Amino acid sequence: MFTTRSAASLALRVKPSASLVPYRSIAALSNTAVKPATEVEQHNGPTSTNGLPLSVTGKVKREVLLSSQEGKKGVMQYALTTLDQVANWARQSSLWPMTFGLACCAVEMMHLSTPRYDQDRLGIIFRASPRQSDVMIVAGTLTNKMAPALRQVYDQMPEPRWVISMGSCANGGGYYHYSYSVTRGCDRIVPVDIYVPGCPPTSEALMYGIFQLQRKMRHTKITRMWYRK
Amino acid sequence: MSTILRSLQNLRRSGIKNALHQMQNIGDTKAGTLIGTDKFGNKYYENLKDELPLRTRWVDYKVSFPEWEPSQLAPGWHAWISYMVDKPPTEDPILQTGVRSWEIPEHRPNPTMGRGSFKTYSTVKPKITAWDPSKIATRS
Repeated sequence: MFTTRSAASLALRVKPSASLVPYRSIAALSNTAVKPATEVEQHNGPTSTNGLPLSVTGKVKREVLLSSQEGKKGVMQYALTTLDQVANWARQSSLWPMTFGLACCAVEMMHLSTPRYDQDRLGIIFRASPRQSDVMIVAGTLTNKMAPALRQVYDQMPEPRWVISMGSCANGGGYYHYSYSVTRGCDRIVPVDIYVPGCPPTSEALMYGIFQLQRKMRHTKITRMWYRK
Repeated sequence: MSTILRSLQNLRRSGIKNALHQMQNIGDTKAGTLIGTDKFGNKYYENLKDELPLRTRWVDYKVSFPEWEPSQLAPGWHAWISYMVDKPPTEDPILQTGVRSWEIPEHRPNPTMGRGSFKTYSTVKPKITAWDPSKIATRS
């Protein structure tokens, strides 16, 4: 494979970073060989006059590292990564959801707080006030009449805030998609982080959605993005 | 981690290194027989004698603590660990994968928030337009 590559295209590439090892990502699960972005294989596509591979649109192809493949450079990034980890740990281990139970999904959401699934062990406590909550679980059919109230409740929540859309009605209207009075998905009203499919989703499904949200929080670069700006 | 005696007993059975690994990952010390390993490297254990019901089967994930999730388990092993079947997929002929024509060649974990995750893509002009607050009409 290396013989087909020209020296010019090799010179364009970023040096392979050794920072891939400490990342315990999904890639660690794969039983195929690790293939970083720098090792993208060459297809026999069109090449420009000086031998560089061209993209579909006719520009010279460039290989860019993923944000997760960028290594930590300098003292500042190491410090901020640690800060981020502490902040993310604090965020993900005390989620206080604002309950927005609208329909039958709310029953499954209640089951999450009962002893079988026991959300309290995860630090999740339902709050009745949006001003004290971090995440809003929209559980059930969102009607047009309820939509302004949902938006108002979302606006009252302090930053940082997340939204879990639970059930097919909240995801995209679901069964009531063609109804005259139903909002076709709560993502038309508020930005949604996690969609939990199902009609209604089981409590396990909602708990899995919460775990996914915690994963999202864990990978948020709070101070690092602030420092980059 | 129920009682000190049980923790110490399981520590003695499984060894100090394994016990520390378990405390880091599942937050408990457990001792059991290794039933099998799937192709991703997750190890599956069982102890029907000493553990409480629904805690008798557990998995030692290949991926370390905060990043593991149940979608990384191989499908047959997931059925086994959820008590859907009695025998592990190494012994059960029904749980063999790769024998049906419609199967995907290998199990893929949940790609959410990864490179393989679903992205909405449409080249059609959107039918709805978002409200722009800066272009609000003044009331006469």
